[in-house]
Parts: sequence; C-alpha cells; structure tokens
Amino acid sequence: MNSQLLTGNEAIALGIVEQGCRVATAYPGTPSSEILAGVVKYKKRLNRDVYTEWSVNEKVAFEVALAASWTGLRAAVAMKQVGLNVASDPLFSAAYTGVKGGFVVIPADDPGPHSSQTEQDSRLLALTAKVPVFDPSTPAEAREMVKDAFELSEWFRIPVIVRPTTRLCHAVSPSDVDESSTSGEAPSAKFQKDPTHWTATPKLRYKLHTELNQKLTDIAAEFSNSKHNYIADAEAGGGVGIVASGVAFLTAQQALTELGVRVPMLKIGTPYPLPTSYVESFCALFQTVIVLEEPDACIELQIPNRDQVRGRLDGSVPNAGELTPEVMFSILHKVFSEAGIQVNASPEDGELSAFIKTLSLPVRRPRLCPGCSHRSAFYSMKRTFGPRAIYPGDIGCYTLGTNLRAVDTFVDMGASITMANGFFQANRLAGDERAIVASIGDSTFLHSGIPPLINAVHTGARFVLLILDNHTTAMTGFQPTPANDYLADGSEAPRKVSIPDLVRACGVEYLKVTDPYEQEDFTEILKEAQAYAQSPEGGVAVIIADRPCVLYDPSPVVEEPLPVIVTDECDGCRFCTEVFECPALILRPDGSRVDIDYKICIDCGQCIDACYKGFIVPKVAEVAA
Amino acid sequence: MTSTSTPELKIVIAGIGGQGIVFLTRLISQTAVNLGYRVVVSETHGMSQRGGAVFSHLKVNGSDAPLIQRGSADLMIALDANEALQNMDYMRRGGTVFVNSKDGLRPEIAPHLERLNIRVASLPASAIAVELGSAAATNIVMAGFVAAYDALNLPLENMIETIKQAASKGAERNLKALEAGFQAGQRQIESAQKIPSE
Ligand code: SF4
Ligand code: SF4
Repeated sequence: MNSQLLTGNEAIALGIVEQGCRVATAYPGTPSSEILAGVVKYKKRLNRDVYTEWSVNEKVAFEVALAASWTGLRAAVAMKQVGLNVASDPLFSAAYTGVKGGFVVIPADDPGPHSSQTEQDSRLLALTAKVPVFDPSTPAEAREMVKDAFELSEWFRIPVIVRPTTRLCHAVSPSDVDESSTSGEAPSAKFQKDPTHWTATPKLRYKLHTELNQKLTDIAAEFSNSKHNYIADAEAGGGVGIVASGVAFLTAQQALTELGVRVPMLKIGTPYPLPTSYVESFCALFQTVIVLEEPDACIELQIPNRDQVRGRLDGSVPNAGELTPEVMFSILHKVFSEAGIQVNASPEDGELSAFIKTLSLPVRRPRLCPGCSHRSAFYSMKRTFGPRAIYPGDIGCYTLGTNLRAVDTFVDMGASITMANGFFQANRLAGDERAIVASIGDSTFLHSGIPPLINAVHTGARFVLLILDNHTTAMTGFQPTPANDYLADGSEAPRKVSIPDLVRACGVEYLKVTDPYEQEDFTEILKEAQAYAQSPEGGVAVIIADRPCVLYDPSPVVEEPLPVIVTDECDGCRFCTEVFECPALILRPDGSRVDIDYKICIDCGQCIDACYKGFIVPKVAEVAA
Repeated sequence: MTSTSTPELKIVIAGIGGQGIVFLTRLISQTAVNLGYRVVVSETHGMSQRGGAVFSHLKVNGSDAPLIQRGSADLMIALDANEALQNMDYMRRGGTVFVNSKDGLRPEIAPHLERLNIRVASLPASAIAVELGSAAATNIVMAGFVAAYDALNLPLENMIETIKQAASKGAERNLKALEAGFQAGQRQIESAQKIPSE
C-alpha cells in the first residue's frame, strides 16, 4: 500500500480495475480521455485480466461493454458528455432491458464549457433515460462510487452512471494504491438467452418500463440511506441551508470559509433518482435553501416543493457557465446578505483586476503546433479556393483551422460531410456556385464520417472532402484509431482498416492520397479535385492529406529537416503571421519584422511559401548566397 | 502519516502550453505528499495545451476545492511574464510572485503591487536553462529558484528526492536545472542582504 497522486480520471480507472471489471471501453474526449489509459495502466500494475478497447465511437463502445455485462461480467464505458449523445440510443434501451454483470457508464461533463460544443448535463440525460447517477466531488470519492455503482447495478440489474466533471477529472490528490493485488479468477460467466429481456418485443417493453419505474422507486429509497448523502456542519444555525453536489459542493465549502459563514450543507452524491423526502425534510428546516450543482439543474428540478428553494431555475444561480470560486462567492454573498447574515467582502482587489484588463495582454489562444501538417493543408486550400468558398469543418485539432479562416462550421463529430452535403443542395437551389471544401480528421471520419459520405455519394452531392489523416487521435492525447496497427494497451492490432479502401467502398470515384507538406502538388490536386466535383460526371472528390502529427511522430521532419531563416528584407507585413500562423513566426513588438523562435521551430520548412515576397528562405541557400 | 505542521498554502502556477506546467506542478505536489502534507491540485488538459494559456492551482493543507479564489493565493510561480500579469488578481495581499523574466514585470503594475504588498522575485530562468543546454528545463530552474526562497516549505533535498524517485530519462538534466535555479536564488538573496538598509 502506498500513497500516490492520482487525477480524478486515474482514480476512476483504478476503481474500475480493482472492482474486477473485465471489459472497459471508451472513445477519447476531453475531459474523459485519461480514464481508459488509466485502466490500461492499472490492469498491468495490478496484474488483472481486463479487455480494454478504444472503440470507433461511443455507441460502439457502449454496446461492446453492454454485451459483456449481459454475459455476467462487470463492464464499464467512458466518454465525454457529448459522447453520451452518440451512445444515447443503447443507453435508453439498456435501461429497459437491464443488465447482468455490473455495468457502469462514465460520461464526463464540461461546465464552462472548456473543450466541448455544449454544457449539457449528463444527469438530465440520465433522468430522461431513467438511469441512476452518482455524482462525485473528489477523486477518492469517485473511486468509491465506482465500487458502489457496480454493486447497485448488479442488485437492480440496471446500468448505473458515475458522472464526473472537468475539474474533478483533472483534479489531483493522493490515494492509497494497493499494488499487491493479484488477478482474480477466470470468470465463469456465460451468456444465457433470455427472450423476455434481451429480445423484448414492444409489448414486453411496456412491462420492462413498469419494472424500470419500480427499480427507480426502490433505488430512491436505497439512496435515502446512502453514505454519499449527508449533512455537513449540521449544528450550524441560521435561516439558510445549502444543497450541493459534485465539485460545486467543494467550491461552496471554500466560499463559506471566505465569507466567514457556517451553515448546514446537504451533500448529495446520488442526484438521480433523488431521495426526495430526505431532501425535503432538510429543506423544511430553513427559510431559504440554495441548490448548487453543475452544469444544470438536476437536483433542484426534482425537489417537489420549491417555494423556498433557490437555484438555477429561479435565476439565483446563473443558468450557464461554470460555478467558479468567484461566481460561487458572489451567489452566496447575495443570498446571505439578503437573509440579513453578516458576511466578509470578496478578497479580490477590484482595482487590480480592472487594471489588468487595461494592460491588453496578448491573448494566448490555442493554435496548431509549429510544423502541424493541418496548417499546410489549410494554407494550400485557402490559396486555391480563396475566402468565398465554404469550408465545413469538424471536431479535432483541425477545428483550430478557424484561426486560419479555413473552417466555417462545426456542429458535432462527422458533420463536416453532412453539412457539405446540405450546403451543396441548398446552394444548387439558390444557384450559388461557390466551391465547398470540407475537412475531417482520420479518427473523426472513422467515428461518424462514413454514413455521411455514403449519403453524399448516393444523392449526388458535389464537393471536395479533405481527410486530414495524421495517423492518430491527436487532440485528446494520441489514442489509436482502427487505422493504426496497435490497440489500447499497446499490443499489436490483428488487422488495420484502410481509410482509402473505405472511401472507395463508399462509392467515391475520385480519390487521391497525398502529402500536404508537398504544397505545390497538393494545390494541383485540390484544383483537379474541384474540377472533378464540378464536371458533368462528377461527385464527391476525396483527398487524403497523409502526414503524421508532428507531436505524435516527428521522425519524418527530423530525418529531413529544412531549416529556414527570415531575411533582412522582411518588412513586417504580417502576412505570414496572420495567414499561415505558425507559432514560431514572431512579429517584433515594434512591428518592424518577423523573427523565427528557434526554441519551438521544428525546421519543417513549411513557411517558405507563406511569404509571397520570398523573404523566408532555406538556411543553406542563404549560406550559399 | 499526515502532517499538518505546515501552514495552508495556495499556489498558482502559470505559463503557456508546452512549458511544462503540469510537470512542475507534479514535482511540487509529489514532494509535498512525500512530506505527509494534504495536497489538492487542479490541472489544465486538452485544447489549451496547444499553445494556449495553461495554469495549475495547488493547495497544501487547504480546502478540497480544485480552484483557488481570486484574491486568495499565497504564491505564484509564472513561467511567462505576461501570464504572471494575467493571473495577478489571484494573489492575496502580502503574497509572493516568482516569475521567469529577464527584467521583472511591466513597471505600470508596480503601484498596485506596492499597495497590496505583493512581492515579486524574478529570474531569467529560460536563459539559465538554455545555458545548461536545455530550454525545456526552464520549469525546473524555477522550482530551484523558489526553493532557495524557502517559500514552499519544501526543502531542496526533498525535491531532489522526488526527481530521483521518478527515475525518468531527464532526471540528471532536471537535477542540474534544480541546482542552478537554487544557486541563482541564493545569490539573489545574499546580494539583497548586502545592500545596507537606508
Ligand atoms: S498535436 Fe499534432 S495534429 Fe494537433 S496541432 Fe499539434 S501537430 Fe497538429
Ligand atoms: S520552419 Fe517555419 S513553419 Fe516550420 S516550424 Fe519553423 S517557423 Fe514554423
């Protein structure tokens, strides 16, 4: 036994492994990505036989784990919150059919949002699907709740959600790790056919629905005795009480210390189904009760009588954004002041904060890495098609193509292709002949791009599709895709899937695989592809921009470096810094010229064409001159 | 064994993606854990790591809440001068800021720092790291610098121990960087003491 620093994600992973989970699947997405990586780490350390899989998407991940549960094994699936949308079809169905081995679903929510397209609350999706939820505050509690979730799932034969949020996923605190554990016994579980559940017809589904309702009633009763629901500081008096869950519970505690106030706080670890009578008996003790939860109102919504309850629904808590320490402080400051309770002023110095805003400090926005091949592809694309063309984009590092104005839309995974399809049809009706050039990464294409491509080919849409194939899932930390030759635990993949073959199999007749670093050739192919798309016999033209992510595999650049310099003729016109936007190209503060930051420059030579005046040149050429 | 003998400390660690903020945070927090302190950290992951602003919040023997409230941090370690300014409103009155910079912070902020009694100690850590042959060790140079001021209640030996414990490939380089930062800090403290007061 020793004490190690674990992130929330690692603590969840450890919980999964030590509870004897045998099948764990996931699709990567911030803030959840380190959960499956953690399962791989701890299955090796604890010597447990766990099948781990980076699935092609969340629906697939969910169903692979569900099948394992139906055989009687413990199984878990992790994803980010929008991934649960993708997996919501089997989630709703599995709530009815039930499970056999403990089945734990872990969707990580992102209040803020920090790296997501929505701030949706997975607890509310769970409420709609009728699936119980645990809502942890700390890494240690998350680990504990994984254990309880497996047990609850087995008792009631129901999928159970453990829902962390970004600040918990990325919180770090010490946990005791017992590495002496040895592998459990080989499972004796076998799939047994059960037509009343596994193939329930609509008539039986009605029965299953009533059974599900009964389970939820029983679970709510169970939750009213759960150790995860308790009153902190019960002796403190006053007319105000707090109900809080997740990270908001901790942030509220901290705010109380800053405010210099003590009030009873009901901590809810099981927000759905809410043990309502337990919560109501707490609320009855106060004139005002404030509910603090993220990212939306789930507990508050389930409190039957909300006369004295304040929260997101009545506007006392903002109905968007994270409950940061500052937001939390000001919410509570207001509530207490209105209740006539004496509180401390904010420790923040308003004058200093206001002054910092006047400094107009450089905003550090995320950018594509120095030497990123996406930049080269986008640059050629913009040069070829100009600002008028329509550029539907997708979800990944290359979403940052918005900085280069090479991405005009992103909706969700795979939508670049469907949006291009829709734009084509709408433009055709309106007589708008602008070029449409969509971009999508390899992992995202495999996740959700294939049905859209089939759809576009079949209905005769005409546009250019760039598949930016950098051989990995870069944004979330380099998880393998089905096109890689290795699996989640590093072992060799029995087979890899060929993206070009897939594209051809979708019926695409124009396909080129080419290196975006060869900007001239790439530009020629872009023109050719557009000509094909517009020709009488044309359709969707696909170009696979094939070059590994420089962070994931720098070897091609390291083996063939092309160091560059900016000559003295540079006049600081900013074309390269704004249109090409490599972070290693730095405009001098006085605006006189551009320098290269060799600390981060990777000598890829891709910026040579980014100065149309020819002032960025290979280093060797300059020496020779 | 958990020790609470060290006071509560709230530390902001700030910089830009790629500067090794997470590693620096882990070095400090692991050292604190080894000493038996309670530690809670909040890290930045994901999109921001692609060159965006990155920060960690670290609490020793304090609340379990991951984030620090503005106006209450005791210390800041900034690997970038602009990020030091950007995060300055996290500092409490009487706090201390350690910044990687050749020439301190922009002078305009001085009156505010004076008013709030916030001290700033700066070190050209990047230049020192480059001299050692590794710009990437700037974060560790800063750790040594802070250790010289004994601001973290974490003795240098314990940090050395943590680096050795990790047994990573860069351990030797990191030990050199830690030492260089520590010595630079000590020289700074000594020369400040030599200045006769008034
Ligand atoms: S991680 Fe890879 S794909 Fe992402 S921006 Fe950097 S180089 Fe490009
Ligand atoms: S060679 Fe040019 S494009 Fe490549 S990393 Fe250096 S500055 Fe950026």
